Amino acid sequence: MISTELIAQSLLAGIIIGVVYALMALGITFIYSIVKMINWAMGEFYMIGSYVQYFLIAQLLGPDLWFIAAPLAAFSVFLFGYFLEPLLIKPMFTAGIERKDDYATVVTIALLLMLRSLATVLSGPYQRNPGSNLPTVMLGPLPESGARLAAAVCGLAVMALFYVLLKTTWLGLAMRAAAQSRFGVQTAGVDIFRMDRIAFGIGVALAGLAGALLAPVFLVYPTNGIVTTTKGFEIIVIGGLGSIPGALIAGLMLGIVESLGASFLAPAYQNAYGFILLLIVLLIRPSGLFGERVRQA
Amino acid sequence: MAAPILETLQLTKRFGGLVAVNGVDFRVRAGEIRGIIGPNGAGKTTLVNLITGLYPPSAGDVRLDGASLLGCAPHRVAHAGLMRSFQVSRLFGNLSLLENLLIPYFALARGADRAAGEQRAWRFLELTRLATMAHDLAKTLSGGQRALLQVAVGFMNPLLKCYVLDEPFAGINPVIKESILALIEHENRANALTFVVVSHETALMRRLCGQITVMMDGRIAAEGTLDEIARRQDVIAGYLGKAGI
Repeated sequence: MISTELIAQSLLAGIIIGVVYALMALGITFIYSIVKMINWAMGEFYMIGSYVQYFLIAQLLGPDLWFIAAPLAAFSVFLFGYFLEPLLIKPMFTAGIERKDDYATVVTIALLLMLRSLATVLSGPYQRNPGSNLPTVMLGPLPESGARLAAAVCGLAVMALFYVLLKTTWLGLAMRAAAQSRFGVQTAGVDIFRMDRIAFGIGVALAGLAGALLAPVFLVYPTNGIVTTTKGFEIIVIGGLGSIPGALIAGLMLGIVESLGASFLAPAYQNAYGFILLLIVLLIRPSGLFGERVRQA
Repeated sequence: MAAPILETLQLTKRFGGLVAVNGVDFRVRAGEIRGIIGPNGAGKTTLVNLITGLYPPSAGDVRLDGASLLGCAPHRVAHAGLMRSFQVSRLFGNLSLLENLLIPYFALARGADRAAGEQRAWRFLELTRLATMAHDLAKTLSGGQRALLQVAVGFMNPLLKCYVLDEPFAGINPVIKESILALIEHENRANALTFVVVSHETALMRRLCGQITVMMDGRIAAEGTLDEIARRQDVIAGYLGKAGI
Protein backbone atom coordinates (compact mmCIF):
# COMPACT_ATOMS: atom_id res chain seq x y z
CA MET A 1 0.00 0.00 0.00
CA ILE A 2 1.55 3.28 -1.12
CA SER A 3 0.66 6.14 1.17
CA THR A 4 -0.39 9.44 -0.35
CA GLU A 5 1.83 11.14 2.18
CA LEU A 6 4.90 9.39 0.79
CA ILE A 7 3.89 10.37 -2.74
CA ALA A 8 3.40 13.98 -1.66
CA GLN A 9 6.70 13.93 0.20
CA SER A 10 8.54 12.58 -2.85
CA LEU A 11 6.85 15.06 -5.17
CA LEU A 12 7.82 17.95 -2.91
CA ALA A 13 11.41 16.74 -2.65
CA GLY A 14 11.52 16.37 -6.44
CA ILE A 15 10.15 19.85 -7.08
CA ILE A 16 12.57 21.42 -4.63
CA ILE A 17 15.68 19.79 -6.06
CA GLY A 18 14.32 20.25 -9.61
CA VAL A 19 14.24 24.01 -9.18
CA VAL A 20 17.93 24.09 -8.29
CA TYR A 21 18.79 21.75 -11.16
CA ALA A 22 16.85 24.11 -13.42
CA LEU A 23 19.08 26.97 -12.26
CA MET A 24 22.09 25.03 -13.58
CA ALA A 25 20.30 24.24 -16.82
CA LEU A 26 19.29 27.88 -17.26
CA GLY A 27 22.95 28.88 -17.01
CA ILE A 28 24.00 26.31 -19.63
CA THR A 29 21.19 27.20 -22.01
CA PHE A 30 21.72 30.97 -21.62
CA ILE A 31 25.42 30.76 -22.45
CA TYR A 32 24.62 28.48 -25.38
CA SER A 33 21.94 30.88 -26.68
CA ILE A 34 24.27 33.86 -26.84
CA VAL A 35 27.81 32.52 -27.22
CA LYS A 36 26.66 29.46 -29.26
CA MET A 37 28.91 27.22 -27.23
CA ILE A 38 28.38 24.50 -24.65
CA ASN A 39 30.25 25.34 -21.46
CA TRP A 40 31.40 21.98 -20.09
CA ALA A 41 32.99 23.67 -17.08
CA MET A 42 29.61 24.66 -15.57
CA GLY A 43 30.08 22.18 -12.72
CA GLU A 44 33.37 23.80 -11.83
CA PHE A 45 31.68 27.19 -11.54
CA TYR A 46 29.11 25.47 -9.33
CA MET A 47 32.05 24.13 -7.31
CA ILE A 48 33.64 27.59 -7.04
CA GLY A 49 30.31 29.02 -5.86
CA SER A 50 30.06 26.35 -3.19
CA TYR A 51 33.63 27.00 -1.99
CA VAL A 52 33.07 30.77 -1.81
CA GLN A 53 29.88 30.11 0.15
CA TYR A 54 31.75 27.76 2.47
CA PHE A 55 34.56 30.20 3.18
CA LEU A 56 32.21 33.15 3.64
CA ILE A 57 30.10 31.19 6.11
CA ALA A 58 32.91 29.35 7.90
CA GLN A 59 35.34 32.28 8.10
CA LEU A 60 33.36 35.49 8.03
CA LEU A 61 29.61 35.50 8.28
CA GLY A 62 28.42 32.34 10.00
CA PRO A 63 25.58 30.06 8.85
CA ASP A 64 22.85 32.51 9.86
CA LEU A 65 23.94 34.98 7.17
CA TRP A 66 23.79 32.41 4.33
CA PHE A 67 21.44 34.73 2.44
CA ILE A 68 24.17 37.38 2.27
CA ALA A 69 26.88 34.86 1.43
CA ALA A 70 24.96 33.30 -1.50
CA PRO A 71 24.60 36.48 -3.60
CA LEU A 72 28.22 37.35 -2.82
CA ALA A 73 29.27 33.89 -3.98
CA ALA A 74 27.21 34.24 -7.17
CA PHE A 75 28.63 37.71 -7.81
CA SER A 76 32.22 36.56 -7.36
CA VAL A 77 31.59 33.73 -9.84
CA PHE A 78 30.08 36.31 -12.22
CA LEU A 79 33.22 38.44 -11.99
CA PHE A 80 35.42 35.39 -12.51
CA GLY A 81 33.47 34.40 -15.64
CA TYR A 82 33.27 38.00 -16.90
CA PHE A 83 37.05 38.37 -16.83
CA LEU A 84 37.82 34.81 -17.92
CA GLU A 85 35.67 34.91 -21.07
CA PRO A 86 37.79 37.47 -23.00
CA LEU A 87 40.94 35.56 -22.03
CA LEU A 88 39.86 32.04 -22.97
CA ILE A 89 36.66 32.03 -25.05
CA LYS A 90 36.78 35.21 -27.14
CA PRO A 91 40.12 34.40 -28.84
CA MET A 92 38.49 31.23 -30.21
CA PHE A 93 35.83 33.37 -31.88
CA THR A 94 38.15 35.97 -33.39
CA ALA A 95 40.94 33.87 -34.85
CA GLY A 96 40.55 32.86 -38.49
CA ILE A 97 39.48 29.27 -37.86
CA GLU A 98 36.55 27.17 -39.00
CA ARG A 99 33.92 25.90 -36.52
CA LYS A 100 34.92 28.38 -33.83
CA ASP A 101 32.34 27.10 -31.34
CA ASP A 102 34.03 23.68 -31.35
CA TYR A 103 37.33 25.18 -30.29
CA ALA A 104 35.65 27.25 -27.60
CA THR A 105 33.92 24.11 -26.30
CA VAL A 106 37.23 22.26 -26.11
CA VAL A 107 38.66 25.20 -24.16
CA THR A 108 35.88 24.79 -21.58
CA ILE A 109 36.81 21.10 -21.18
CA ALA A 110 40.40 22.11 -20.47
CA LEU A 111 39.10 24.72 -18.05
CA LEU A 112 37.03 22.03 -16.28
CA LEU A 113 40.11 19.88 -15.67
CA MET A 114 42.22 22.83 -14.61
CA LEU A 115 39.71 24.24 -12.11
CA ARG A 116 38.99 20.83 -10.59
CA SER A 117 42.69 20.10 -10.12
CA LEU A 118 43.29 23.59 -8.79
CA ALA A 119 40.57 23.09 -6.16
CA THR A 120 42.16 19.81 -5.08
CA VAL A 121 45.57 21.46 -4.79
CA LEU A 122 44.24 24.46 -2.87
CA SER A 123 41.80 22.82 -0.48
CA GLY A 124 42.54 19.10 -0.59
CA PRO A 125 40.05 16.37 -1.45
CA TYR A 126 38.08 16.81 1.80
CA GLN A 127 34.35 17.25 2.00
CA ARG A 128 33.46 20.45 3.81
CA ASN A 129 30.11 21.44 5.22
CA PRO A 130 29.27 25.09 5.75
CA GLY A 131 26.39 23.97 7.96
CA SER A 132 22.93 25.43 8.14
CA ASN A 133 20.90 26.59 11.11
CA LEU A 134 17.67 26.58 9.15
CA PRO A 135 15.13 24.42 10.96
CA THR A 136 13.03 21.76 9.32
CA VAL A 137 9.89 23.39 7.99
CA MET A 138 6.44 21.75 8.02
CA LEU A 139 4.62 22.27 4.72
CA GLY A 140 1.18 21.09 5.86
CA PRO A 141 1.86 17.59 7.13
CA LEU A 142 5.14 17.32 5.21
CA PRO A 143 8.51 18.05 6.81
CA GLU A 144 11.14 19.59 4.57
CA SER A 145 14.78 20.46 5.24
CA GLY A 146 15.12 24.22 5.71
CA ALA A 147 18.32 24.41 3.65
CA ARG A 148 16.72 22.63 0.66
CA LEU A 149 13.57 24.71 0.85
CA ALA A 150 15.59 27.93 1.06
CA ALA A 151 17.63 26.83 -1.96
CA ALA A 152 14.45 26.20 -3.97
CA VAL A 153 12.79 29.48 -2.97
CA CYS A 154 15.94 31.47 -3.82
CA GLY A 155 16.31 29.52 -7.06
CA LEU A 156 12.74 30.36 -8.10
CA ALA A 157 13.18 34.01 -7.11
CA VAL A 158 16.37 34.32 -9.16
CA MET A 159 14.78 32.65 -12.18
CA ALA A 160 11.83 35.05 -11.95
CA LEU A 161 14.22 38.01 -11.66
CA PHE A 162 16.23 36.70 -14.63
CA TYR A 163 13.06 36.45 -16.70
CA VAL A 164 11.88 39.96 -15.78
CA LEU A 165 15.29 41.49 -16.56
CA LEU A 166 15.40 39.63 -19.88
CA LYS A 167 11.96 40.95 -20.83
CA THR A 168 12.14 44.52 -19.57
CA THR A 169 15.69 45.85 -19.81
CA TRP A 170 17.63 47.07 -22.80
CA LEU A 171 20.38 44.53 -22.07
CA GLY A 172 17.75 41.77 -21.98
CA LEU A 173 16.43 42.91 -25.35
CA ALA A 174 19.92 42.89 -26.84
CA MET A 175 20.48 39.40 -25.39
CA ARG A 176 17.23 38.08 -26.87
CA ALA A 177 18.19 39.57 -30.23
CA ALA A 178 21.73 38.16 -30.03
CA ALA A 179 20.26 34.72 -29.29
CA GLN A 180 18.37 34.93 -32.59
CA SER A 181 21.15 36.28 -34.76
CA ARG A 182 24.70 37.10 -33.73
CA PHE A 183 25.23 38.68 -37.13
CA GLY A 184 22.03 40.73 -37.03
CA VAL A 185 22.74 42.42 -33.69
CA GLN A 186 26.20 43.42 -34.81
CA THR A 187 24.92 45.26 -37.86
CA ALA A 188 22.36 46.91 -35.56
CA GLY A 189 25.26 48.34 -33.57
CA VAL A 190 25.50 45.88 -30.68
CA ASP A 191 28.99 44.87 -29.53
CA ILE A 192 28.57 41.09 -29.64
CA PHE A 193 31.75 40.39 -27.68
CA ARG A 194 30.46 42.50 -24.81
CA MET A 195 27.24 40.46 -24.90
CA ASP A 196 29.34 37.27 -24.82
CA ARG A 197 31.22 38.43 -21.74
CA ILE A 198 28.09 39.40 -19.87
CA ALA A 199 26.18 36.27 -20.89
CA PHE A 200 29.08 34.04 -19.88
CA GLY A 201 29.33 35.84 -16.54
CA ILE A 202 25.60 35.57 -15.86
CA GLY A 203 25.45 31.92 -16.95
CA VAL A 204 28.29 30.81 -14.70
CA ALA A 205 26.93 32.98 -11.86
CA LEU A 206 23.70 30.95 -12.01
CA ALA A 207 25.80 27.79 -11.57
CA GLY A 208 27.74 29.48 -8.77
CA LEU A 209 24.49 30.39 -7.05
CA ALA A 210 23.26 26.81 -7.31
CA GLY A 211 26.56 25.69 -5.75
CA ALA A 212 26.24 28.22 -2.93
CA LEU A 213 22.61 27.32 -2.18
CA LEU A 214 23.26 23.57 -2.22
CA ALA A 215 26.54 23.76 -0.27
CA PRO A 216 24.94 22.59 3.02
CA VAL A 217 22.97 19.86 1.19
CA PHE A 218 25.47 18.25 -1.19
CA LEU A 219 28.59 19.56 0.61
CA VAL A 220 31.70 21.21 -0.75
CA TYR A 221 34.54 19.30 -2.46
CA PRO A 222 36.50 19.59 -5.72
CA THR A 223 34.25 17.31 -7.80
CA ASN A 224 30.88 18.28 -6.32
CA GLY A 225 29.81 19.91 -9.59
CA ILE A 226 29.74 16.66 -11.56
CA VAL A 227 26.30 15.47 -10.52
CA THR A 228 24.49 18.80 -10.87
CA THR A 229 26.17 19.47 -14.21
CA THR A 230 25.07 16.09 -15.50
CA LYS A 231 21.54 16.98 -14.38
CA GLY A 232 21.87 20.37 -16.05
CA PHE A 233 22.76 18.75 -19.37
CA GLU A 234 20.00 16.17 -19.02
CA ILE A 235 17.57 19.02 -18.46
CA ILE A 236 18.57 21.05 -21.50
CA VAL A 237 18.27 17.98 -23.70
CA ILE A 238 14.84 17.18 -22.25
CA GLY A 239 13.65 20.80 -22.32
CA GLY A 240 15.27 21.74 -25.63
CA LEU A 241 18.57 23.55 -25.99
CA GLY A 242 18.15 27.32 -25.88
CA SER A 243 14.70 27.28 -24.25
CA ILE A 244 14.26 29.05 -20.91
CA PRO A 245 10.79 27.67 -20.06
CA GLY A 246 12.13 24.29 -21.20
CA ALA A 247 14.90 24.52 -18.58
CA LEU A 248 12.45 25.17 -15.75
CA ILE A 249 9.85 22.58 -16.73
CA ALA A 250 12.38 19.89 -17.55
CA GLY A 251 14.20 20.65 -14.29
CA LEU A 252 11.02 20.05 -12.32
CA MET A 253 10.26 16.90 -14.34
CA LEU A 254 13.72 15.50 -13.73
CA GLY A 255 13.59 16.26 -10.00
CA ILE A 256 10.17 14.64 -9.63
CA VAL A 257 11.02 11.53 -11.68
CA GLU A 258 14.22 10.96 -9.71
CA SER A 259 12.53 11.51 -6.41
CA LEU A 260 9.54 9.25 -7.14
CA GLY A 261 11.84 6.57 -8.56
CA ALA A 262 14.06 6.68 -5.50
CA SER A 263 11.07 6.39 -3.16
CA PHE A 264 9.07 3.70 -4.94
CA LEU A 265 11.55 1.71 -7.03
CA ALA A 266 15.06 1.70 -5.66
CA PRO A 267 17.05 4.63 -4.23
CA ALA A 268 20.31 3.17 -5.55
CA TYR A 269 19.29 3.94 -9.13
CA GLN A 270 18.18 7.53 -8.50
CA ASN A 271 20.47 8.95 -11.17
CA ALA A 272 19.31 6.39 -13.74
CA TYR A 273 15.65 7.46 -13.67
CA GLY A 274 16.51 10.81 -15.16
CA PHE A 275 18.26 9.14 -18.07
CA ILE A 276 15.23 6.92 -18.67
CA LEU A 277 13.12 10.10 -18.84
CA LEU A 278 15.70 11.56 -21.22
CA LEU A 279 15.52 8.51 -23.50
CA ILE A 280 11.72 8.60 -23.58
CA VAL A 281 11.63 12.32 -24.41
CA LEU A 282 14.23 11.87 -27.14
CA LEU A 283 12.24 9.01 -28.67
CA ILE A 284 9.08 11.12 -28.79
CA ARG A 285 10.56 14.58 -29.46
CA PRO A 286 14.18 14.43 -30.61
CA SER A 287 14.55 18.22 -30.35
CA GLY A 288 13.41 18.29 -26.71
CA LEU A 289 10.11 19.51 -25.29
CA PHE A 290 10.58 23.17 -26.25
CA GLY A 291 13.44 22.89 -28.73
CA GLU A 292 13.25 24.22 -32.24
CA ARG A 293 13.30 21.49 -34.81
CA VAL A 294 15.76 23.31 -37.01
CA ARG A 295 17.95 26.06 -35.70
CA GLN A 296 18.70 28.93 -38.01
CA ALA A 297 22.32 29.81 -38.46
CA MET B 1 32.27 68.54 -56.05
CA ALA B 2 31.85 69.10 -52.31
CA ALA B 3 33.78 66.86 -49.90
CA PRO B 4 32.29 63.39 -50.12
CA ILE B 5 30.65 61.87 -47.03
CA LEU B 6 31.39 58.39 -48.31
CA GLU B 7 34.32 57.50 -50.50
CA THR B 8 36.26 54.43 -51.51
CA LEU B 9 39.87 54.67 -52.66
CA GLN B 10 41.09 52.04 -55.12
CA LEU B 11 38.87 49.53 -53.33
CA THR B 12 39.63 45.98 -54.45
CA LYS B 13 38.32 42.55 -53.42
CA ARG B 14 39.69 39.30 -54.77
CA PHE B 15 38.09 35.92 -54.15
CA GLY B 16 40.84 33.53 -55.22
CA GLY B 17 41.44 34.31 -58.87
CA LEU B 18 38.24 36.35 -59.27
CA VAL B 19 38.47 40.12 -58.85
CA ALA B 20 34.94 40.99 -57.73
CA VAL B 21 35.68 44.67 -57.09
CA ASN B 22 38.61 46.13 -58.97
CA GLY B 23 40.18 49.44 -57.91
CA VAL B 24 36.90 51.28 -57.36
CA ASP B 25 36.93 55.01 -56.55
CA PHE B 26 33.37 55.72 -55.49
CA ARG B 27 32.30 59.07 -54.03
CA VAL B 28 28.96 60.15 -52.62
CA ARG B 29 28.21 63.71 -51.54
CA ALA B 30 26.40 64.45 -48.27
CA GLY B 31 22.65 64.56 -48.77
CA GLU B 32 22.76 62.69 -52.07
CA ILE B 33 20.68 59.66 -53.01
CA ARG B 34 23.03 57.63 -55.18
CA GLY B 35 21.91 54.67 -57.21
CA ILE B 36 24.09 51.70 -58.13
CA ILE B 37 23.01 49.54 -61.05
CA GLY B 38 24.73 46.86 -63.05
CA PRO B 39 24.21 43.38 -64.44
CA ASN B 40 24.22 40.37 -62.13
CA GLY B 41 27.73 39.55 -60.96
CA ALA B 42 28.98 43.08 -61.61
CA GLY B 43 30.17 43.39 -58.00
CA LYS B 44 27.39 45.62 -56.57
CA THR B 45 26.72 43.60 -53.44
CA THR B 46 30.43 42.95 -52.93
CA LEU B 47 31.02 46.70 -53.07
CA VAL B 48 28.27 47.22 -50.49
CA ASN B 49 29.74 44.50 -48.28
CA LEU B 50 33.16 46.12 -48.49
CA ILE B 51 31.78 49.58 -47.71
CA THR B 52 29.89 48.32 -44.65
CA GLY B 53 32.82 46.27 -43.33
CA LEU B 54 31.36 42.81 -43.88
CA TYR B 55 34.35 41.80 -45.95
CA PRO B 56 37.87 43.10 -45.44
CA PRO B 57 39.08 44.54 -48.76
CA SER B 58 42.10 43.04 -50.50
CA ALA B 59 43.34 46.60 -51.12
CA GLY B 60 42.12 50.16 -50.87
CA ASP B 61 40.23 52.14 -48.25
CA VAL B 62 36.69 53.11 -47.27
CA ARG B 63 36.12 56.49 -45.63
CA LEU B 64 33.07 57.93 -43.98
CA ASP B 65 33.30 61.66 -43.31
CA GLY B 66 37.05 61.43 -43.88
CA ALA B 67 37.64 58.67 -41.30
CA SER B 68 38.72 55.24 -42.48
CA LEU B 69 36.38 52.35 -41.68
CA LEU B 70 39.01 49.70 -42.40
CA GLY B 71 39.20 47.01 -39.76
CA CYS B 72 36.09 48.27 -37.93
CA ALA B 73 33.83 45.56 -36.45
CA PRO B 74 30.26 45.75 -37.82
CA HIS B 75 28.97 47.47 -34.67
CA ARG B 76 31.70 50.13 -34.95
CA VAL B 77 30.59 50.82 -38.52
CA ALA B 78 27.06 51.42 -37.21
CA HIS B 79 28.56 53.69 -34.52
CA ALA B 80 30.33 55.69 -37.21
CA GLY B 81 26.91 56.43 -38.73
CA LEU B 82 26.77 53.94 -41.59
CA MET B 83 23.85 51.49 -41.73
CA ARG B 84 22.82 48.99 -44.35
CA SER B 85 19.85 46.85 -45.21
CA PHE B 86 20.12 43.37 -46.67
CA GLN B 87 18.49 41.74 -49.65
CA VAL B 88 17.37 38.94 -47.33
CA SER B 89 15.67 40.31 -44.23
CA ARG B 90 17.82 40.32 -41.10
CA LEU B 91 15.00 41.07 -38.68
CA PHE B 92 14.63 39.26 -35.38
CA GLY B 93 11.60 37.08 -36.04
CA ASN B 94 10.82 36.33 -32.41
CA LEU B 95 10.90 39.97 -31.32
CA SER B 96 8.07 42.44 -31.83
CA LEU B 97 8.21 45.15 -34.49
CA LEU B 98 8.74 47.74 -31.76
CA GLU B 99 11.60 45.75 -30.23
CA ASN B 100 13.24 45.30 -33.63
CA LEU B 101 13.20 49.08 -34.03
CA LEU B 102 14.49 49.76 -30.52
CA ILE B 103 17.63 47.60 -30.76
CA PRO B 104 19.77 49.93 -32.90
CA TYR B 105 18.52 52.94 -30.96
CA PHE B 106 19.54 51.58 -27.56
CA ALA B 107 22.75 50.11 -28.93
CA LEU B 108 23.87 53.40 -30.44
CA ALA B 109 22.28 56.35 -28.61
CA ARG B 110 24.44 57.70 -25.82
CA GLY B 111 22.54 57.95 -22.55
CA ALA B 112 19.45 56.74 -24.38
CA ASP B 113 16.22 56.96 -22.47
CA ARG B 114 13.46 54.55 -23.22
CA ALA B 115 10.80 57.20 -23.82
CA ALA B 116 12.83 58.97 -26.50
CA GLY B 117 13.61 55.65 -28.17
CA GLU B 118 9.99 54.54 -28.17
CA GLN B 119 8.87 57.92 -29.50
CA ARG B 120 11.28 57.59 -32.41
CA ALA B 121 10.20 54.00 -33.03
CA TRP B 122 6.51 54.95 -33.04
CA ARG B 123 7.22 57.71 -35.54
CA PHE B 124 8.61 55.13 -37.97
CA LEU B 125 5.80 52.71 -37.22
CA GLU B 126 3.37 55.49 -38.23
CA LEU B 127 5.40 56.44 -41.31
CA THR B 128 5.47 52.81 -42.47
CA ARG B 129 1.81 52.25 -41.50
CA LEU B 130 2.85 49.29 -39.37
CA ALA B 131 1.74 50.90 -36.09
CA THR B 132 -1.24 48.60 -35.60
CA MET B 133 1.16 45.62 -35.61
CA ALA B 134 3.73 47.18 -33.27
CA HIS B 135 3.51 44.42 -30.70
CA ASP B 136 3.25 41.50 -33.15
CA LEU B 137 6.28 39.31 -33.72
CA ALA B 138 8.28 40.28 -36.79
CA LYS B 139 8.00 36.73 -38.16
CA THR B 140 4.25 37.29 -38.68
CA LEU B 141 4.93 40.00 -41.28
CA SER B 142 4.63 39.45 -45.02
CA GLY B 143 7.81 39.56 -47.10
CA GLY B 144 7.11 43.12 -48.20
CA GLN B 145 6.33 44.33 -44.71
CA ARG B 146 9.58 42.76 -43.52
CA ALA B 147 11.51 44.66 -46.17
CA LEU B 148 9.75 47.86 -45.13
CA LEU B 149 10.45 47.31 -41.42
CA GLN B 150 14.05 46.46 -42.18
CA VAL B 151 14.52 49.78 -43.96
CA ALA B 152 12.89 51.56 -41.00
CA VAL B 153 15.18 49.78 -38.51
CA GLY B 154 18.21 51.47 -40.09
CA PHE B 155 16.68 54.90 -39.48
CA MET B 156 16.56 54.13 -35.76
CA ASN B 157 20.34 54.62 -35.60
CA PRO B 158 20.50 58.09 -33.98
CA LEU B 159 24.02 58.60 -35.38
CA LEU B 160 22.96 57.78 -38.95
CA LYS B 161 24.77 59.71 -41.69
CA CYS B 162 24.69 57.34 -44.62
CA TYR B 163 22.31 54.48 -45.34
CA VAL B 164 23.21 51.75 -47.84
CA LEU B 165 20.18 49.82 -49.14
CA ASP B 166 20.86 46.59 -51.01
CA GLU B 167 17.94 45.75 -53.34
CA PRO B 168 15.26 47.20 -51.05
CA PHE B 169 12.56 46.82 -53.73
CA ALA B 170 13.22 43.24 -54.85
CA GLY B 171 10.10 41.10 -54.95
CA ILE B 172 7.83 43.60 -53.21
CA ASN B 173 4.33 44.75 -54.14
CA PRO B 174 3.88 48.31 -55.53
CA VAL B 175 2.14 49.68 -52.42
CA ILE B 176 5.04 48.78 -50.14
CA LYS B 177 7.56 49.90 -52.76
CA GLU B 178 5.87 53.28 -52.64
CA SER B 179 6.09 53.29 -48.82
CA ILE B 180 9.82 52.55 -48.90
CA LEU B 181 10.37 55.24 -51.54
CA ALA B 182 8.39 57.76 -49.51
CA LEU B 183 10.36 56.91 -46.38
CA ILE B 184 13.71 57.37 -48.14
CA GLU B 185 12.61 60.67 -49.73
CA HIS B 186 11.22 61.92 -46.42
CA GLU B 187 14.40 61.17 -44.44
CA ASN B 188 16.56 62.61 -47.22
CA ARG B 189 14.61 65.89 -47.22
CA ALA B 190 13.95 66.20 -43.50
CA ASN B 191 17.35 65.11 -42.15
CA ALA B 192 19.63 65.51 -45.19
CA LEU B 193 20.59 61.84 -44.90
CA THR B 194 22.77 60.32 -47.60
CA PHE B 195 21.65 57.14 -49.35
CA VAL B 196 23.25 54.56 -51.57
CA VAL B 197 20.60 52.39 -53.22
CA VAL B 198 21.41 49.22 -55.15
CA SER B 199 18.48 48.24 -57.34
CA HIS B 200 17.46 46.90 -60.72
CA GLU B 201 14.27 48.95 -60.78
CA THR B 202 15.20 51.67 -63.25
CA ALA B 203 11.87 53.51 -62.98
CA LEU B 204 12.27 53.86 -59.23
CA MET B 205 15.93 54.79 -59.60
CA ARG B 206 15.01 57.57 -62.05
CA ARG B 207 12.63 59.04 -59.49
CA LEU B 208 14.92 58.60 -56.47
CA CYS B 209 18.47 59.17 -57.62
CA GLY B 210 20.03 62.21 -59.23
CA GLN B 211 23.25 60.37 -59.94
CA ILE B 212 23.63 56.73 -60.85
CA THR B 213 26.79 54.64 -60.83
CA VAL B 214 26.94 51.73 -63.26
CA MET B 215 29.11 48.80 -62.25
CA MET B 216 30.39 46.22 -64.70
CA ASP B 217 32.97 43.52 -64.15
CA GLY B 218 33.95 44.92 -60.76
CA ARG B 219 34.61 48.43 -62.04
CA ILE B 220 32.67 51.66 -62.33
CA ALA B 221 31.66 51.74 -65.99
CA ALA B 222 29.78 55.04 -65.96
CA GLU B 223 28.39 57.72 -63.68
CA GLY B 224 25.73 60.33 -64.36
CA THR B 225 21.99 60.82 -64.55
CA LEU B 226 20.00 57.88 -65.81
CA ASP B 227 19.45 59.61 -69.14
CA GLU B 228 23.15 60.32 -69.53
CA ILE B 229 24.22 56.78 -68.90
CA ALA B 230 21.42 55.46 -71.09
CA ARG B 231 23.13 57.17 -74.06
CA ARG B 232 26.50 55.54 -73.38
CA GLN B 233 27.15 52.90 -76.02
CA ASP B 234 29.48 50.87 -73.78
CA VAL B 235 26.85 50.77 -71.03
CA ILE B 236 24.15 49.75 -73.47
CA ALA B 237 26.35 47.05 -74.89
CA GLY B 238 27.33 45.70 -71.48
CA TYR B 239 24.06 46.01 -69.66
CA LEU B 240 21.12 47.97 -70.95
CA GLY B 241 20.97 46.07 -74.18
CA LYS B 242 20.09 42.98 -72.25
CA ALA B 243 18.02 44.46 -69.45
CA GLY B 244 16.28 47.23 -71.40
CA ILE B 245 15.39 50.57 -69.83
